[in-house]
Amino acid sequence: MTKAGLKLLAAATALPLLMAGAVNAEDIDYGNFDGYTLRVKLIGGAQYEPLYAEIEKWEEMTGAKVDVLSRKNHFELDREIKQDIAAGTLDWCVGSNHPSFAPQYGTIYIDLNGVIPKETLSEFQELALANSTVDGRLVQLPRHSDISNLYYKKSLYADQGNKDRFKEKHGYDLAPPETWEQFKDQAIFFANAPEFFGTQYVGKDEAITGRFYELLIAEGGQLFDENWNPTFNSEAGVRAVQWFKDLYDAKAVPAGVLNYLWDDTGLGFASGTVALNLDWAGWASFFNDPANSKVAGDIGLVRAPVGSGGKRSGWSGSHTFSITETCDNKEAAASFVSFLTSHERQMIEARKGLLPTRGKVWEEAIAEFDGAGNDFMVTVFETYSQSMSEDAFTPPLIPQWIEVSNEVWPRLQAAILGEMSPQEALDEAAESAREIMEDAGYL
Amino acid sequence: MAKIEKRLPFWQRESFTPFVLLFPAILTLVLVVLLPLLFSLYTSFTGYRLIRPDSLYNFVGFRNYERIFTDWDFWVAFGRTVLFLTIALNLEFLFGLGIALLINRITWGQRTLRTIMMFPMMFSPILVGYQFKFIFNDNIGVLNNALQSLGLSDGAIPWLVDKHLAMGSIIVAEVWMSTSIFAILLLAGLFAMPRDPLEAAKVDGCNPWQVFRHITLPFLMPFAFIAMTIRSLDVARAYDIVDVMTGGGPAGRTELLWTLIARVGYDNSRMGQANAMAYVSILLSIAFTYYFFRKLIAARRYMGGAN
Repeated sequence: MTKAGLKLLAAATALPLLMAGAVNAEDIDYGNFDGYTLRVKLIGGAQYEPLYAEIEKWEEMTGAKVDVLSRKNHFELDREIKQDIAAGTLDWCVGSNHPSFAPQYGTIYIDLNGVIPKETLSEFQELALANSTVDGRLVQLPRHSDISNLYYKKSLYADQGNKDRFKEKHGYDLAPPETWEQFKDQAIFFANAPEFFGTQYVGKDEAITGRFYELLIAEGGQLFDENWNPTFNSEAGVRAVQWFKDLYDAKAVPAGVLNYLWDDTGLGFASGTVALNLDWAGWASFFNDPANSKVAGDIGLVRAPVGSGGKRSGWSGSHTFSITETCDNKEAAASFVSFLTSHERQMIEARKGLLPTRGKVWEEAIAEFDGAGNDFMVTVFETYSQSMSEDAFTPPLIPQWIEVSNEVWPRLQAAILGEMSPQEALDEAAESAREIMEDAGYL
Repeated sequence: MAKIEKRLPFWQRESFTPFVLLFPAILTLVLVVLLPLLFSLYTSFTGYRLIRPDSLYNFVGFRNYERIFTDWDFWVAFGRTVLFLTIALNLEFLFGLGIALLINRITWGQRTLRTIMMFPMMFSPILVGYQFKFIFNDNIGVLNNALQSLGLSDGAIPWLVDKHLAMGSIIVAEVWMSTSIFAILLLAGLFAMPRDPLEAAKVDGCNPWQVFRHITLPFLMPFAFIAMTIRSLDVARAYDIVDVMTGGGPAGRTELLWTLIARVGYDNSRMGQANAMAYVSILLSIAFTYYFFRKLIAARRYMGGAN
C-alpha cells in the first residue's frame, strides 16, 4: 500500500474514533447556573479568539450568560488587574493569567486544588501544572503552552549556490542551525538588507528580556544565584547580549527590530523576507496558509539551538485561567474554566497550532494531522512536544520578574545600539535588579 | 427686615447666597480634583505598591523624592520632555500661523478648508500613533518605500530607532495632530483684527512685511500665548502617541516623563514613587503656564489691552 493510501486508511479509522471522543467529552456535566451572569476578563488577539467562539456552547449547556468585561493583550490586562486590586473592584470571576504575571497578584485568585476534581487535573501535564503553582497554590489552570522553535525558509537551504558559498565562507555544511553560533553565521550569510533579512527578534519589553534570559541559560549562565543575587552580568550574559548586537551591527535584522513585538516578527516571516524565525507554534498554521503567507509550503522547523553551555534555549510559559477569591459563584467559574480547558476545546486550539496542556490532546492532534496528510503540522507538533518535555524552563516565578525585566530590557537595547558595552549594560541592570530584590526583602 | 433675616436659617440668608450657589461647583472640585490630588500627594510619601493595597500605610517620608533626585533616567526624561515641548510648540506655532494667514486670504471655500484643517484633531492620539508608526516603519513603512521608489534612499532608514530621528518622528506626529489648534486660534485672532491700523499703515507706505511684523503679529501674540498655554499642558503630559510609536525606547531614547511614570506606576506597581515623579513633573507644567501667562499679559499690555 502506498503512503497516501495508508494515510487515507488512518484517516478513515481515526474519524469515527474522534467523533466518538467528541460525543463522550460533551457528556461532561457542566452544571446548571440558569439566570447567572459570569463576569470575565480575557486575553484578546486573533489567535485566542477561536476558543471564545465556543463560549456560546457553555452558555447553552448551563443556562448562564458570560459577560466579557475586557479582551486585551496581556500587558494591558495586567495593568487593568492591578488597578482593580488597588481600587478594590475585583467584582469579576474569571481572568486570563500567565505564570510570568501570576506571582505578582498575591492571593487574589483561589487555589484550584480541590475546586477542580483531581481526576481532571491528572489529565494535565505535570510540568504545566507545576508552572501554574505559586507558593503551593494552583492559582491558574493552563489553557495552552508556549515555547519557541526555529522556523526556516527551506528553499534557501536546498539551493546549491547557497550551499557552496556558505561552505567556502564558514567551512561547514549549510544545514538548519544546531547551535546559536551557527544561527548567527547563517542569519548574517542570508541577509541582504533592506530587501531580505537573516532573522529578526522581538526588541522590547519582557519579550527581549525573555529571549536574553533563555540565551543566558543556553550559554551556561543564570539570572540569580541561589541567594537571589543577580548574576546575569556574567561572561555568559555578555555572550548572550553580543549575539543580539552582532546581528544588529551586521544588518542581519531589520533596523527597527528594537521596536518589534510578537506580531511584527510573525508577520515579517510570513512576508517571505526573513530566512530564520524563532517563534511559538501558534503561528504554524498561519505560516503555512497560502492566503496569509508567502512562505507557505516552504517552511522547515528545527528545535531551538544549543548554546555554548551545552543547553538548548527553552523559555516557556502557559496561557491560563484563574478564578478570583471575590467571585460570587465559584462553582460556575470552575465549570467555565473546566469547559475552556476541556479536551474538546484544547483540540480546537491545537488545530491552529497552539500547544495543548493535556497529554492526550497532543496524541490526538498528531493523529488528526497525520490522518489529514498535514505533514507540516505533524512535524510542528512532534518538534514542540520534544522541546516542551526536554527544553522548557520558566523565568523565576517571583512577583519581581516583570520589574526586573523592566530594568534589563532598556539596557539590552542600549548595548545593542552601542550606547554602552554589553558588560556595562548588564552591570547597570544587575545593580538595579539588586535594588529591587533588596526592597522586596530577598537580600 | 433685620428681624426676618435673623429668623431664617443661615443658608437662606442673602449674604450666604453666593456660597450656596457655588456649593455644588466647590463640592465637585473638592471630590474630583482636590481629594485625588491630596491622596496622590500622600501616596508619594509612602511605599504604595498597586498590587499591595496595605502598603498604602507604609510611610517612607521623603525616600521616594530622594530617589528621584539621584535618578539620572528621570532627569534625562525631564530634560527631553522640555526639549520636546519647546520644539513641538514652536513648530506648531509657525505652521499654525502660516496656515491661518493663508486661510485668511481665501475668499471662496474658506469654511470647507477650515473644517478640513480640523480633521487631525478629530483622531484619537492612539490612532495617530499607529498611523505614524506605520508610516515610519523601517521595513514596510510608507515613507521608506516612497524614498526608495523615488531613488532618494537605497537603505531602510530606522526612523523610530535612530537617536535623533526617533524623537523627530514623534514630534512630526504631535505637530501633525495639533497644529490646527494654533491655526484655529490664530485665525480667530485674524478675524477679530481691526482693519483701521492695517489701512493706515498702507497709507503710510508700509510694505507687507512691515505690516505683518509691527501690526498683525503683535495683535496675534495674545492668541498665540493662549494656544501655547493650552498646548504646553497637553504636550507636557504627552503619553499616548509616544507609547504607541516607540514605548519610550529604544534604550530610553524617546522616554518622556509620562511614559516613565506610567511604567513605574503600573508595570512596576510602584505607585508611591510614580506619584512622587508626577509631583515633580507638575512643576514643569506650572513653570510653563506661569511663563506663558506672563508673556500673555506683556503682549496684551503692548497692544494697550487690559492687565
